[in-house]
Amino acid sequence: MNAPTPAPSPAEVIPAPVGLLAELTHRCPLRCPYCSNPLELDRRSAELDTQTWLRVLTEAAGLGVLHVHLSGGEPTARPDIVEITAKCAELGLYSNLITSGVGGALAKLDALYDVGLDHVQLSVQGVDAANAEKIGGLKNAQPQKMQFAARVTELGLPLTLNSVIHRGNIHEVPGFIDLAVKLGAKRLEVAHTQYYGWAYVNRAALMPDKAQVDESIRIVEAARERLKGQLVIDLVVPDYYAKYPKACAGGWGRKLMNVTPQGKVLPCHAAETIPGLEFWYVSDHSLGDIWTKSPAFAAYRGTSWMKEPCRSCERREKDWGGCRCQALALTGDAANTDPACSLSPLHAKMRDLAKEEAAETPPDYIYRSIGTNVQNPLSEKAPL
Amino acid sequence: MTAQFPPPVPEFEQRLLSHEELEAALRDIGARRYHNLHPFHRLLHDGKLSKDQVRAWALNRYYYQAMIPVKDAALLARLPDAQLRRIWRQRIVDHDGDFEGDGGIERWLKLAEGVGFERDYVLSTKGILSATRFSVDAYVHFVSERSLLEAIASSLTEMFSPTIISERVAGMLKNYDFITKETLAYFDKRLTQAPRDADFALDYVKRHATTPEMQRAAMDALTFKCNVLWTQLDALYFAYVAPGMVPPDAWQPGEGLVAENTAQASSAAAAGAPAAFSGSDVPRLPRGVRLRFDEVRNKHVLLAPERTFDLDDNAVAVLKLVDGQNTVSQIARILGQTYDADPAVIEADILPMLAGLAQKRVLER
Repeated sequence: MNAPTPAPSPAEVIPAPVGLLAELTHRCPLRCPYCSNPLELDRRSAELDTQTWLRVLTEAAGLGVLHVHLSGGEPTARPDIVEITAKCAELGLYSNLITSGVGGALAKLDALYDVGLDHVQLSVQGVDAANAEKIGGLKNAQPQKMQFAARVTELGLPLTLNSVIHRGNIHEVPGFIDLAVKLGAKRLEVAHTQYYGWAYVNRAALMPDKAQVDESIRIVEAARERLKGQLVIDLVVPDYYAKYPKACAGGWGRKLMNVTPQGKVLPCHAAETIPGLEFWYVSDHSLGDIWTKSPAFAAYRGTSWMKEPCRSCERREKDWGGCRCQALALTGDAANTDPACSLSPLHAKMRDLAKEEAAETPPDYIYRSIGTNVQNPLSEKAPL
Repeated sequence: MTAQFPPPVPEFEQRLLSHEELEAALRDIGARRYHNLHPFHRLLHDGKLSKDQVRAWALNRYYYQAMIPVKDAALLARLPDAQLRRIWRQRIVDHDGDFEGDGGIERWLKLAEGVGFERDYVLSTKGILSATRFSVDAYVHFVSERSLLEAIASSLTEMFSPTIISERVAGMLKNYDFITKETLAYFDKRLTQAPRDADFALDYVKRHATTPEMQRAAMDALTFKCNVLWTQLDALYFAYVAPGMVPPDAWQPGEGLVAENTAQASSAAAAGAPAAFSGSDVPRLPRGVRLRFDEVRNKHVLLAPERTFDLDDNAVAVLKLVDGQNTVSQIARILGQTYDADPAVIEADILPMLAGLAQKRVLER
């Protein structure tokens, strides 16, 4: 006689993931100093092959993933980007191309449209071409982006512009809004820089001051009213000036999986900065096993890992303690409350740090590149 | 204005009624005594209440919402078989939700917040009228102490609620600029949940009221429940409309509200020009927006750029008919046939929903 298996209690049921961030490659013609890729970038020779990506997508669909974000680096640098996108369409997965719009992107756009690409998110570094190209570190990028955007809307594909905001372009927020309208975008992301990866290294060069941040928020709110029904504007406010942290990736291991170019599966794109986590690879395990069983996903899922003030906080299932990577980077312990939270004992220090840096003359950018030996700031003592 | 009280329920003969006669008699009770006939309700849905009067209603009614699962849990505890409990427990799930932030009580809190209240003030129930507390508590006691038949029969006011809900939603959206479709999310769900609940309860009463005495007890139970609802509106009318006698300790305008400037900002946002639809418009989903059945979660979702919209049953029913061919009026007519409801009421309901989606740029015409 078989003993019945006890049903897991609701708290133990792991919700199915809704999004897959597929970092197809780390190669990119741009060199943005706030890139969210890790400091140590995967080389082309280490990238997953086409068949493996197709298998990963099939497993993702079976697992309950609805949205696939085809990202990078520059995803159109992959010769098989059309094949990968076609597979998404075949599986009913919503495909979102996150692109710089430069290099070979335009040449592949029509083919992507034909196989059923759902949405394009185009990054714009600035409005003024010279400023944009200084930030992105690539000459002649801006005209290519404008041409690319024009073709996206000509095809009837929905377009989102993504602008990462920092002290080098925060004065251009009104310009980004006008540009989005002019290009026929339906959405605009005004995303203040989140200070992980390359942005952490460049924080002093990127951090705006509080008054500038407040002004940018006012501008966005006014534009939302004015452009209601025409343009949706999503605003990501900078952590360092926030009251509560954001639920990183919708909560650790709750909504999102991130597959790196070489097939490592992460709960968020910066998770590798946390020492001691064991990540599994798609070459060794199915995506389903990785989601439910891999140690890295289990490490900070739910609330049982929390310390005070998170543990007893009524917001603990709203923001899930904020960002583990930021907690580690700034406090030295990934299980601490994200200092972006006003309830963290270190919050005031974090804010002061931002104010001090914003008040100083910005240093030059350290541009993102493969194979540069950049000192990993997390190997230093935590700064708070 | 003078309150028009309905005439008393007519006496029935002392014989056993057929199922059809019993249903007709029960429906007759609602036609005479249900609180959609109350002067306060007419004022509410005709848009004639001030913002503070709407607030008083939302605040007091919260206590009723909050106690409904307590009532249903009491009833559930007395149900003798698993099949009945499986059906009845759905009501508790509907109200309490499956997780924090879900469920009918939460949606009512959203409504109260939408009209300006601080959440904690509403939760405390310290500003409600004593008459609200007495009536609601009487209802909970009735369900706990009377026979199972009477307890279930007392829930039959749900037979009448889709009417009041569609009147309320259409009326409030039309007449109060501080009420948004989001604020009224509570009613979106009840529009489909209430008929499902009522069908079961009605069937139960028909089958279990097997003597004339039991049938009369069921009718009396329904009358009692109508009075529970009616009394709450009497008290609101007395305190906040005329003669305006607010009892000591009950909510006074200005109390328990979030800072007025925030509330104004949200109502200003709601008053902004919506991407309005009319009955002759043909809505369509643009490229990049797809309605999909999610087999893993066993529900429909609307996939859109960088976001997924969870849909309630009403929205799914409408969006399935959004094919780039049907006009809004045609969609309302088809739904009217399917759900045996007035297409004009449905159209009034779905226009703001479509406008909301258009405003989020996921629906075009």
